Amino acid sequence: MAAQIICFNAAFGLCLAALAVHAAAYAFKRPRLGGAALPALGLAWLALTAGLAFLWVKLGRAPLSNQYESLLVMLWFVFPLSFYFYRKTGKAEIVPAAALAASALFGAAALLDRTARPLMPALRSDWLILHVLSSMAAYAAFALAAAAAAWALVKRRAEIFEDFLLRLARTGFAFLTLGIVTGSVWANTAWGAWWSWDPKETWSLLTWLAYAAALHLRKKGPLGAKFSVMLLLCFALVLFTYFGVNFLLSGMHSYA
Amino acid sequence: MLKFLASLRLFFAVCLALAGAFVYQTLFNRGAPVYGAPWFAALGVLAAANIAACSLRRARTASAHFLLLHAGLVVIIAGAFVTRFFRFEAELPLRAGTLSDLAYSGGASYKLPFSVQLEDFRLEYYAEPLGRLAVLDEAGRREFDAEEGAVIKVPSARAEIKVLRLVRDFGLAAGNKVTEKSPYWHNPAAQLEITAGGKKQRLWFFSNFPGMHRGQLPFHIFYSLEQAEIKNFISKVTLIPGEGPKVCAEIAVNKPLKAGGYTLYQTSYDPADAGYSLLTVTRDRGVWVVYAGFTMLLMGVLLWLRK
Repeated sequence: MAAQIICFNAAFGLCLAALAVHAAAYAFKRPRLGGAALPALGLAWLALTAGLAFLWVKLGRAPLSNQYESLLVMLWFVFPLSFYFYRKTGKAEIVPAAALAASALFGAAALLDRTARPLMPALRSDWLILHVLSSMAAYAAFALAAAAAAWALVKRRAEIFEDFLLRLARTGFAFLTLGIVTGSVWANTAWGAWWSWDPKETWSLLTWLAYAAALHLRKKGPLGAKFSVMLLLCFALVLFTYFGVNFLLSGMHSYA
Repeated sequence: MLKFLASLRLFFAVCLALAGAFVYQTLFNRGAPVYGAPWFAALGVLAAANIAACSLRRARTASAHFLLLHAGLVVIIAGAFVTRFFRFEAELPLRAGTLSDLAYSGGASYKLPFSVQLEDFRLEYYAEPLGRLAVLDEAGRREFDAEEGAVIKVPSARAEIKVLRLVRDFGLAAGNKVTEKSPYWHNPAAQLEITAGGKKQRLWFFSNFPGMHRGQLPFHIFYSLEQAEIKNFISKVTLIPGEGPKVCAEIAVNKPLKAGGYTLYQTSYDPADAGYSLLTVTRDRGVWVVYAGFTMLLMGVLLWLRK
């Protein structure tokens, strides 16, 4: 088995272990047990980083050219975002939310085609790194926000979580803005048009509008559980933009 | 009026209308795209008016990030309208060695203020492609490396295949003599000598036309290329303006050429014709307005995150 696959499997296993530890802590009412989840996630991040480094060396280019590779990069962002917000807010629930989001994304990655192909001419650009990294960072923040919103709704603590969810949504929105802008500038260099109403572009704009609307709704004051539900609905749009558009609609982004 | 234009309700209504248009267009619409419809343009105007009115109402008290972010969006929408009404795009088909100043769009032709001569067109591969032969008969499908001089036995059909010659770009010269039309893998072909049922035949098999000679043989043969992954396609051109010196340049995917306010992009080529290249010519003043909007938007977002 290739070195990168061993690393990815190890990272997946550690995320599942972190999730299991938290579930056990919750079920048996032993909060201390949950403390083991954070080191497990830290090790998972290291394993994922090593796996991506091996993959980069093997491919001879940044692993950003298909959905499998970009999903692993998205996963990579989930960890530092969750560590940062855990440290910043002190909310212990961020750890299981990160474990939940990472496990789900690892599961999705396992279902995708791993075949590595050389970069097609349109993707041979320095803009690829900036565009994909910013988009994946946005999706990671939205995934974490959705997982935290789900956790908050299950535990009926949406009001306490709202400020944290708002900060995550803002972070994701900023990265999505950067992703759309860099994609547009790159499109003008590669295809000769800064906007072509390609289905991926259109659904990215729709996702951007949905988060913009959610952030503006929140301006009227705390929304409680409604904000968590909205973040889950917005994340459904992220999933459609990322997966659904590729499988259901044809366009210039058919490789991504 | 300004209060209504600046309202959050109007913003949500515009968002919903745009979302509805996007969903309809991408999932259901099979006719003309909604993006060209006057009502869609009106939605864009309404969105810009809403954002501008909101910014104006709060201009005195609003923070820098709020103003930059919202003004950036208005500038982007304004740029989109400049692009919509004034952008020029046409295709410029070129043949090697010939000069052209005519670009085509929607059945009309446009005379460009410069002429372009295609000096050479080439494909770059990641690695040298490998020829492969596949034999398909009742016993199944078997694949072999296609190398000149190789002899392949097909016991199930009591046949023998000898690879006589491989060419990258099949062409015929005077007297039906097979030649290489170019050094590039445009029309790869293999000449095989097939001995089956006491009969010997010399036939050409083409990678681009896999169905040939089906009725002539007791089995199917396919010639194909492996690792023929294209790295880039490149047109070497000379641009001759009405006034001023000639410009020699290479145009490739992700490497357009800017000249006289126009931009030339490498768009396509013909795999079966090494001497043909298709460029796209655009002229779009709106893009600079949009880029100014992008800059304001990103600066606004950055300041907003620092808050």
